[in-house]
Order: sequence, then C-alpha cells, then structure tokens
Amino acid sequence: MGGFGPPPGSPFAGGRMDTGLPFAGVPPELAAKAQAILDTEPEHPEPDISFSHRHGREKRLTLTRFLRPHRLALGWAVALVILETAMVTSGPYLTGLGIDRGIRARDTGALLTIALIFVGTVVAGTYLSKVRIQVSGRLGERLMFELRIKVFSHFQRLSLDFFTREKAGVLMSRMTSDIESLTQLFHQGLINMFVQALTLLIISVILFLTSPLLAVITIGVVVPVMLALTLWFRAASDRGFNLVRDRIALVLADLSENLAGIRIITAHNRRRHNLVHHRNVVGDYTDANNYTAKVGALYGPGAETVSVIGQAIILVVGANLVLDGKLGLGALTAFFLYVTMFFAPIQQLVQLYNVYQQGRAALRKLGDVLDTVPAVPEADDAHDLPPIEGEIRLEGVTFGYDPRIPVLRDIDLVIAPGETVAVVGETGAGKSTIAKLVTRFYDPSAGRVLIDGHDLREVTFTSLRQQIGVVPQEPFLFAGSIRDNITFANPDASDDEIAEACRQIGLDDVVARQADGLDSAVHERGVSLSSGERQLLALTRAFLARPRVLVLDEATSNLDLRSETRIEQALDVLLEGRTAIIIAHRLATAMRADRIAVVHDGHIVEIGSHDELLAAGGRYTRLYETWMAHTN
Amino acid sequence: MRISTLERDLLRESERDPGPSPYEPVGVTPNAPPPRGYIDPDRAKGWIRRAMPIVLAHRWLFGTSLFFAFISLAAQVAIPRVLGSGIDAVISQTDPLIPDRRLAPIVILLLVLGVVRAVLTFVYRFGLYKVAYAIEFDLRSIMFEHLSRMSFSFYDKQQTGQLISRANSDIRSVQMLLAFAPFMAMTLITFFAGFAIMVTIHVGLTLVAISVLPGVYYLGVRMRNVMFPVSWIVQGRQAEVATAVEENVAGVRVVKSFAAEEQEIRKLARAAQRLRWASITTIDNQAKYAPVMENLPRLGMAFVLLYGGWLAIDGQVTIGDIVVFNQYVIMLQAPFRMLGMFLMMSQRAAASAQRIFEILDSESEIVDRPGAVDLVDARGEITFDHVRFGYGDGPDILTDLSFSVRPGETVAIVGRTGSGKSTITRLLDRFYDVRDGAVRIDGTDVRDLTLTSLRHHIAMVSEEPFLFSATVRDNIAYGRPDAPIEDVMAAARAANAHEFIAQLEDGYDSIVGERGYTLSGGQRQRIAIARALLADPTILVLDDATSAIDVRIESEIHAALHELMVERTTIVVAHRLSTISLADRVVLLEGGRVVAEGTHNGLMATEPRYVAVLATVEDGDGGDGVLVEDGLPAGVPGGGG
Repeated sequence: MGGFGPPPGSPFAGGRMDTGLPFAGVPPELAAKAQAILDTEPEHPEPDISFSHRHGREKRLTLTRFLRPHRLALGWAVALVILETAMVTSGPYLTGLGIDRGIRARDTGALLTIALIFVGTVVAGTYLSKVRIQVSGRLGERLMFELRIKVFSHFQRLSLDFFTREKAGVLMSRMTSDIESLTQLFHQGLINMFVQALTLLIISVILFLTSPLLAVITIGVVVPVMLALTLWFRAASDRGFNLVRDRIALVLADLSENLAGIRIITAHNRRRHNLVHHRNVVGDYTDANNYTAKVGALYGPGAETVSVIGQAIILVVGANLVLDGKLGLGALTAFFLYVTMFFAPIQQLVQLYNVYQQGRAALRKLGDVLDTVPAVPEADDAHDLPPIEGEIRLEGVTFGYDPRIPVLRDIDLVIAPGETVAVVGETGAGKSTIAKLVTRFYDPSAGRVLIDGHDLREVTFTSLRQQIGVVPQEPFLFAGSIRDNITFANPDASDDEIAEACRQIGLDDVVARQADGLDSAVHERGVSLSSGERQLLALTRAFLARPRVLVLDEATSNLDLRSETRIEQALDVLLEGRTAIIIAHRLATAMRADRIAVVHDGHIVEIGSHDELLAAGGRYTRLYETWMAHTN
Repeated sequence: MRISTLERDLLRESERDPGPSPYEPVGVTPNAPPPRGYIDPDRAKGWIRRAMPIVLAHRWLFGTSLFFAFISLAAQVAIPRVLGSGIDAVISQTDPLIPDRRLAPIVILLLVLGVVRAVLTFVYRFGLYKVAYAIEFDLRSIMFEHLSRMSFSFYDKQQTGQLISRANSDIRSVQMLLAFAPFMAMTLITFFAGFAIMVTIHVGLTLVAISVLPGVYYLGVRMRNVMFPVSWIVQGRQAEVATAVEENVAGVRVVKSFAAEEQEIRKLARAAQRLRWASITTIDNQAKYAPVMENLPRLGMAFVLLYGGWLAIDGQVTIGDIVVFNQYVIMLQAPFRMLGMFLMMSQRAAASAQRIFEILDSESEIVDRPGAVDLVDARGEITFDHVRFGYGDGPDILTDLSFSVRPGETVAIVGRTGSGKSTITRLLDRFYDVRDGAVRIDGTDVRDLTLTSLRHHIAMVSEEPFLFSATVRDNIAYGRPDAPIEDVMAAARAANAHEFIAQLEDGYDSIVGERGYTLSGGQRQRIAIARALLADPTILVLDDATSAIDVRIESEIHAALHELMVERTTIVVAHRLSTISLADRVVLLEGGRVVAEGTHNGLMATEPRYVAVLATVEDGDGGDGVLVEDGLPAGVPGGGG
C-alpha cells in the first residue's frame, strides 16, 4: 500500500485515528474555505518545555485536584452560567406576566415595559451565553493542552518494560480518546450539567410559586415518566451504538483486508466467497443500525406524547383553578410554556451523565499512567557521566525479563576502550539482552554494568545516552524528511556536518537519487526507501551523534544482498576509534570484530578472536562450519 | 478494449449475478441478500437519477413512510392551534361577555392528535431510517463487489487507505441525502401549513412572529460555512497529535537511545498547540453564532407578546392566539434550520456521489472475453510467445520474451533485480494482459480462457505473502474453504510449517495476520507455501517464496516439494543457489528477454552472463545458517524493538 493520505508537511497531514481509519484530509469541496481559515492562524510561540527523568511524587490525579488551580476561571464561568440561565428561563414568566398585568388589565404601559424587559433578557442572555462559551471553552482547551504534555512527558520517563507490556494501541488511546473524552467533559459536560440542573430547579421553583397544586400534579406526572423513558432510551441506545461501532469496525476491517489482499483473493478465486462474507458483515451492521433506528424512533414520539398529556392535564386542572379564581390566565399560559421547557434539561442531564462517567473513567486511566513508576528510574542523586573513554565492564550480571526466568546468568565481560566485540549465539541465547543492559534499557537483577568505572544506575540518562549510540535491527524512521531523521539526535547540526556524515557513511548517493534530496519525505515508516537504505540512514544518524560507544543490535540482518557491502563499508567508518558491541546475526559481520563472545544458555561460553576460537574447536567452530556449509 | 453501452449493461447484469462456478467455492452461508438496487451506468445522467434505482428498489417502504410522515406533520401543526382554542375556551368561561365554549372536546382532540402523531412519527421515522440503512447496505455491497472485480492495474494506482476512508464518509453522505431529502422537503410543508394557520388569525402578527426566522436560516448557513471546514481541520490536527504519539511509542527505543525525550515532547507540544488553536477557532465560531441563533426565536416571542398583546387589548386577537403564535415560532424555526442544512448536505452528497461513481465507473481491464472457455484438466504446458509488456503507461519491461515449459517440468527464472522475473508470473495468472504476443497454457491463449478456471489451475507464492486476520487453518485453506483439517495439516507438513503451528497457543486455530499473532517472515512464507500446496494446482509458481526461510529448513521444504513437483509444472523465481538447484532447467533473463537457457551446470560452464548474475546474487547468500530471529520478549513495539 502506498502512503496514506496527504503528504507529510501539508496542513492536513496526519496518521491513523483510533478509529483505525486513516484521516483522509479535508474534502476537496471544502479545501478553499479551510485554507482561508488556516490563513488566519498566527505563528505559535515555541513551546516552553522542561523535562526531567525524575518522577515527581505527585498526588493522585482527581477531578478536584485537576481543576483547583483554575478555580477562578471556573468560578467566573459558573457565575456567567447562573445569570444566563436566569435570563433564558424568565421568558414564559414574562409572557404570563404580560398577559395578566398587561392584556387582561388592559394596561398598554405595563405591556410595553414587560415586553421591553423580555427583549432585554434576550439580548443579555445572548451576550452572556457568548462570553460563557468562550471562557469555559478556553479554559477546557488550556487544561487539555497541559494534560497532554503532562501525560506524554511521563511516557518519556517510563522505561522500556512498560512499552513492552502495554499494547501500543492502549497507549495511543490514553493520549487520544481518553483526553478527548475529558475535553468533551469540559466543553459540554460540567458547565452544561450545571446549566440544565439549574434550569430544572428554576422552573420547578417558578411553577411551585405560581401554583403549588398544578406544579405537584405536573411534575409528579411528567417527570417520572420522562425520566424513566429517558433512562431506558440511554441504556438501549448505548447498547445499540456500541453494537453499531463494533460492527462498522468489522465492516471496515473486512473491506481494508480485502483491498490489501486483493491479489491473493484474485489468485485463489476467493471473490465470491469474500463477497458473500462481506455482505454478511454489512448485513449485521445494518441490523445493528435498524435496532438503533427503532430505539430512536420510539423515544422522540414517546417524549412528545408525555408532553402533550402533560399539557392536557394542565388544561383540565388549570381551567378549574382559573374558574375558581385561584390562578391567573397568564400564569396558566406560562405553565404551558414552562412544561415544554421541562423536557430538554432532563434529556440533556441523562446524556451528560454519560459524558461525565466517561470523563471520570478517562481521568482514572490517565491517573493510573501518571502513577506508574519507571522500572528503570533515574536516581535522585544521579550525576552526569563525564566524557568517557569507553571502557565497558559487566560484573556478575544476572538478568531476566521475567525475574524467575533468567536470560543472562552471572556474566563477566570487559571491553577495552576502542575495542569491537561481537556477540553471537543461537536464538534466545540472550545476545540482544546484553545490548539492552549496556544502554540501560533494563537494570540487571544482580551484578552491575559500568562504563569507565561508573555504575550506570548512578548517572543521568541524558548524559549516558548522549555518549552511547544504538542501531537497532529494524531502523525506525520517523515521519518527516530524510534530514529530520538524520539529525534526530542533534537537530542543530549544520548542513556541512550533515553532508559530511552522509558522505562518510555512503548515504550521499541515496540522497542524491531522491527528488528533494535531504528534504524528501520518508513515508509510512520509510517504505519509499529499501531496508538497506533505511539502515544506512540509521547509521548516518548514529554517526552524526558521535557517540563514544556504539551498540549494533543485529543491525546487519534483514538486508538485501547489494546493501550488504555498503553497510559493511559504512560500519568500518563508524566503528573507527569507538568502543563497539555488535550483536551479530551473520557470522560475516562477527568475523570483523576484535573479539567474539559466544553466548549460550545465558553464559558467555567462549571469547576470543575469530582465529583463536576456530583453533579452540568449540561451539563457535560448529556455528562457523554450519555457516560455511551453506555458503558454499 | 471498447465495448458498447448495451454490451456493458449486459455485462453488468450478468456480473450482478454471475451464477455458481465450480472454480469459485463459497464456504460461507449467506445471511444477507444481495443488494436490491444498482447504480445506473449511464454517465450522462445527473447523480440523483443515477442513484435512483437504489432508491426505487425500496419504494414501498419509502412511500409508506413518507405518507405517514405527512399525516404526522399535519397533526403536529394542528396541536398548537387546538391548545390555543383550549385557552380561549377557559377564557370564554370566565368572561361573561364571550359565549361559553366547552373544554372537554378540545382536550380529547388534543390527546387524540398527540397519540396519533406519536404512533405515526414512530412508524415513519423507523421506516425512513430503515430505508436509509437499506440504501447504505446496497451501496456498500455494490462498492465492494465492484472493487473486488477490479484488475491489478487499478490497485496499482490507488491508495487503499484513502479509498476506504473516503468510501465510508461518502457513502454515508449520499445515503443520508437520498433517504431524508423528501422528508426535509416535507418539513417545509409544515412551515407553509403553520404559516397559513397564523395568517388566518392575523396577518400583521404573523409577519412580526416570523420576522426572526430568516435570521435563523442566514446565521445557520454562515455558521456551517465556517464550522464544517474547521471541524475537518480539528480532525486533521487530532490526527497530527495521534501521529506524534504513535511514532513516539513505536520508535521508543530510538528516542531513548538518543536521549531525545525533550525534543519529542516539544514535537508533541507543537502539534497540541496547533490542535488547541483549531479547537479555539471552533469555540469562537460557536460563541459567535450559536447564542444568537438560539435566542432569535425568543426575540420573536417577545415581539409576539408586545404586538400581540397590543392587538389583544384592542380585541383583534385572543390570548389563546398569543400562545399559539409562541408555539409556532418555536416549531417553525426547525424547517429554517433544516433548509440550510439541506442545502449543505446536498452539495456534499453531490461531491461524494461523484467520488463513488468515479470508482464504480472504472472498468476492470481484465475480464473474460466473450466466448472464453474453461481450462479443463490442464497438462501444464506453458508458452510465452514473443511477449511484450509494461505496467500502465510505463516503458516495456519485457521486450520480446519467448520460452516454454513442458508439463511437469521445473524451471528457474534467473535475472538481476528489475529484469522482469516477477512480471512473468503475473502474466501467467493473467493479472495483466500482454501488449504484444501471447501467453499460452496447453496451447490456448490465457485470454481465451475463463479467469476463474485459469487461476484454479495455478497457485502462486510470493516473497511477501499476505496473511489474512483469520486462523492459521483458514489461511492455509484460503483457496479451498471447505478442506478437511487432515488435508490442511498435510499441506502444512509439506511446507515445514506444522511444527511451529503446533507450538502456537491455539495451534491451527491461532489468529494470524494484521490483527493477530505476529509471525516471522519465514513462518509467513511457509504458511503461504502450504496454502498453495493445498490448492493442488497444476502449475505452481514460487516467486522468491523461500527468501526469508533459513537454508536448512528450505532444503527440507525442497525435499518435500520435490515429491510434490513431479506431477506439476513449477516455475521458481530465485536468488539463491540452493533454490535454483531444484530446477530441471534455468532461464536467464536480461533486458526483457531470454538470453540463455539450459541446466545450471551447463550455463555455469558456457554462459558468462549467467555466472555474472549469480555472482551478484549469491554474494551474501549464506550467513542465515542457524542464527535466526533473536528471542526478544514478544510485543516490543514497532521497528525500534
């Protein structure tokens, strides 16, 4: 599959949403309007970021703790809301007043005054509403912005085991859907809940003040039925919409897989089978849709019927009250109007309660993430690692990802500054684990890892990793240009430095072949580059970082054959004068090292130069012979 | 290939129900009917007329729903009027000057109207939604059917992700318009009905009451004009934030290795800033329009109180009328809001329909010729006869390619990268048609054979096999959905896959593919080989199919294949000597043609070009001896791990 969506760098570039769908960009018919809006966007100031690996022991994230720093703004919003609600709910009261004091009393002056007050409340209500939306909206956005940075910063603090344990999708949804449901809570949740509750309260009070009997009958009949109906509707429609969401996901997944696998489908004559299957999937989706349609079609008319019955009751009971002289005609009119205003808040409150629940759940999940303590923490008294010579020492190191199953047992290894040591061994022997300990992605469960005599647990992460370069098996390229990827470790590198690095590693002719040179975009984890070219790019990245110690974690496997030689040449340049650990997959790579360590069953069973090990005739010799047999 | 409109219609007709084919097994029970409607293929017609057959397919439900909707709306318009007369009845009983009117019939009428309206509203809403979803079902089915029929040249040009995402929102906007346009038109009727009732009461008061409604319409249009593009911008920026997180999580090892945490946070903060700006733009526009729109009807009510009250004092209208007018102002704003929405929806739907039709109008380039015959009991003789071919409008990849393969023979195709080796395999299965010359099987041009029978006889394994998110068993039985498990296991054993499959948590029932178990490249290739073997083809094509399998296992697979290949014609595209040595004969490709043929040993002795190609190819071939895949804990995310 080619790249999804628009090219990176365009205003609408973006990746997959948590719906699993790629963002397809603004539809062409809206593009001009969207551009006009984008033209009004100011330059954003450079964000003010400070990051420390140390995990501040903060109190648990709760709604109140989250809101407390912003209580002034929140109080302002609440005050606006109270005024706004008062304005909106005054309408029917004023109409009733106008009827009784103005029309029935035949008092034109009073009528005019009341009507003008009415107009005044409309104007004031409009303005208050506008200010309230802006105040609460801005507050919400500010909170979300801060929370995004806070959670993401904590991600950066967490160690590799966390990322291994948690699925990438789950981490994504913390930063996307969870924060968005909190946004929902702030945009329309909290304030609106307050508005609706207040509206209900005010209307009830007015009704009781106007006529207690009528109020009791109306509220007693209408509210319970309405509430029951609404609660049923929420439950049923939630179930329906969940079903719809799940099934549309299946429809799209099936469609996408069929498009991706179209060649296999065609070759295996599976078209009709898949067509019938897809129809079944879409049929299930249609059933779910019809269910929600039925629920929705029942609720609306049901609510309206309750409203009409309420009006009929008011008409009958109210008429008697009016005839008895206990109620003004205008007050009766106001009752009619208020009853129609009664339903919206109930419906909204029930709906908002859902938003509130989701927001709370999101907050809880985010709180859990923020409470997670990094398994490989930076010590409180960690010091910067001074510029190193590059001597690496493993002393009695034992380690297992699962502490009960050690992968490495009591390993001792000393690598002199400038020396290249290759680590070989069979699958699962623990080769890569050594690399992960030296870079302190994990801490040993016993023993220690030292660089130039400094225990890794006593130095700061930044100072350590700035001096150690890692090239992993599958070079990861970030969305962006080739330049962005090369300068990942030091964004301030000059053009000359970049050009020099490319020349040294041999990336220059790859760059030259791209249409936009260094500024060419690498798409979709770099599919436009071959795996060999990607590896060269990763090596250039490491070269430009100029680390004292280099760790190559199977960096030369998975390469096509022509890239092989170029990578080998690049390695010669890269390893020059540096301490290096090469986790080797191909013996051809291992043979170039000063010494080779053979790992077996968690131990280093042999160590020495290629010739020495061959002469010894042990495990390495057997590996070598198998390899030679297949090569020739 | 040009065909007349009539022919195309006939073709479409037959394609809509191609009838059962022995070569296309269906191993699943249909639970849903085929689509009832279709899209009119006449491109000259407007988009609504082209989509009309789908709407008409559901005309009974559609028509009934609209009829009930009409009655329901009429009841809706009547209710405020009845309520008003109720109030006037109350007044008549308190005021000795006005003749008494009875309240009871009015209350009963009100209740009857309320109940009738509720029942009919349920019926028409449910009906209209059902129609909408039926249209969606038809559109999705038609779209899928068409996409599954398209030839590879179509997919070479498409970005599938874009295709899916667009198809999804486009189908929805078309479906909604088709199903709800008539209803929206009907709500306009409520406006006129309400307007008429108001006018009979008092013309001046009517004009005052509805004076605010055009404002509702105008502001609605203005607001959507801004809000729609903005909501897309917001969505795009949410995607930016998501991408920043996704990349960070996937590349976590690189980030940590280079101590780039602060830089990554800054990257995210920039995306979050951009999102915040877009969100605040939304908020500001909401603040600008929404309060005014919501308060305009209330302004109308204030006007009604003022002018209506004055008229009431004057005796020209009743107090009940004021209540009636108040309710109409609220009720009639709905059509005004909807009108604006309707105009916007129809613009979007027209654009969406164009994009859908664009896909449906593209013709598959590879179809059965009229008079194509089934390939029956093929012997497996293959002939490439002066074939010239290139992709799309591109240059020729094969210039003048001729060679043949005898039934039962195994031939290796060797050549440098880009010499067209894989292209040969694609022409054999007729994924593309040749520009000149012919590809023949048993002497018949593949273009004269039915596609399904041709492909039934050929099985192909490519270098990067695609596995579906299904069980291992379903993946192996892909071409024969009803194959018994014994056959599946036998195929897996031959492909040397049984052992590792048995070790998976759920064995043959383990889910693999995009949303399942992650298998190594070699394991995927072995499943793909099993898939091909289970299809029991006459012709087997292995296109670099063992490249990721380590040499020792490959030789075991080859031993099994050797037995299986005796009866079948096999074409192997290979880089490795070990793979090439399997073949009876080698065909050397260069410059889009065959430059040499013979046995491996023969060519090594006589053909320097062959030796040269093998030298570049064989260079680093060894190495993958025993040291395959390091045993990392599963699930270290993405490329960094």
